[in-house]
Amino acid sequence: MSTDMRRDFADRDELIAYLRSEFPAALAEGAAVSATRGGRSAAEERLGRLDPARYAASRNFLNGAVTRLSAYLRHGVLSLAELRSAALRAVDDPAAAAKLINELGWRDYWQRVYAAIGEGIWRDREPLKTGVPAKSYAAELPEDLATATTGLACIDAFSRELVETGYLHNHARMWLAAYTIHWRHVAWQAGARWFLSHLLDGDPASNNLSWQWVASSFSHKPYIFNRANLERYSAGVYCRDCPLRTACPFDADYEELEQQLFPRAPRPAEPPRRRR
Amino acid sequence: MSLSKQPVVWVHADCLSPTNPALMKYPGAPALFVWDDELLTEWRISFKRIVFIYECILELPVVIRRGDVVSELLAFAAEQRADSIVTNPSPSPRFKAISSRIAAKLPLQVVPVAPFVRPSAPLDLGRFSRYWRSVEADAMRPPDEA
Repeated sequence: MSTDMRRDFADRDELIAYLRSEFPAALAEGAAVSATRGGRSAAEERLGRLDPARYAASRNFLNGAVTRLSAYLRHGVLSLAELRSAALRAVDDPAAAAKLINELGWRDYWQRVYAAIGEGIWRDREPLKTGVPAKSYAAELPEDLATATTGLACIDAFSRELVETGYLHNHARMWLAAYTIHWRHVAWQAGARWFLSHLLDGDPASNNLSWQWVASSFSHKPYIFNRANLERYSAGVYCRDCPLRTACPFDADYEELEQQLFPRAPRPAEPPRRRR
Repeated sequence: MSLSKQPVVWVHADCLSPTNPALMKYPGAPALFVWDDELLTEWRISFKRIVFIYECILELPVVIRRGDVVSELLAFAAEQRADSIVTNPSPSPRFKAISSRIAAKLPLQVVPVAPFVRPSAPLDLGRFSRYWRSVEADAMRPPDEA
């Protein structure tokens, strides 16, 4: 039997120093601490700023009015039902909260799938629709991706943000996942393990099944993006100073990218999905 | 399910709310959170995640320990002369495995959390769109009308 761990700390620095000494192995994944604080009081502070209508209008933009409540939902600090009630209270017309509630539905859905298939979340739910042979996908994350040294300003920024803050905007997660799987031919499980290690909201169900959605083992076709899409939703902040801005692997229309990435895809492409 | 007479509450990382229904149902019962060392290693949980979770736990009336979850829970229950363990559900296979090891030694009561939707029939989980068609009306309804 272990002894009780400490509960009394003068401040956050003292807590962090204590945890460094208690969990030295975790420092192998990086010593960063997020500015996002844990606990119900911090969650309620964010809940007070909830604006479901602005969320619906701007959620796909990196600077959009997203809730930043995912880590609290993941750990049950706040329940989906509580957040739904808060969203409905914050609007005059329930339709203004519909998009936010629909996104809460995704979390409920992933949890239900997890309850049904358990460890199956680590295996392809369906065959990939990329036409790329399964053995072509690497089992491990490439070093340059993990260390944010690919040379692509956007991808390196997302990789750094993930490791340093434990948070990524949903759109950035989708871009980073699509790049990892479809441009670098890395198995989605390697990317899923990377995210699970770092995201404060890292939940095996939402995380793995979303990676499978991008990969196409839990969707009808692979998710990809292009430079125009990334520039639009990031306000061009990465492309402006990117060392590879004239050799950008994403700078093409969707048909060209599909031809290039999935030349042996099983059937002719429908218009690609831009985003969830 | 009948009420436990002298339970301890097991608070796990899927339900770190001060209004956790297991804590609410047994106010004042001794409660424990256990850092699952094996899981931290297996999932390579980074330091920032540990800090976040620890801050969540500090707002709860729980004793904090670490090690093998089942051994720690049974030892804590014995110290408290408890007749049962009460907790909240989780979809994870690890939770199921831990629960069945506990249940072999002590009665385990799982207190549900208020659900997001209450489907009246089994759901088709093949795709989100099918799930959403079945639950959307329920999901959009304020809970006091549910």
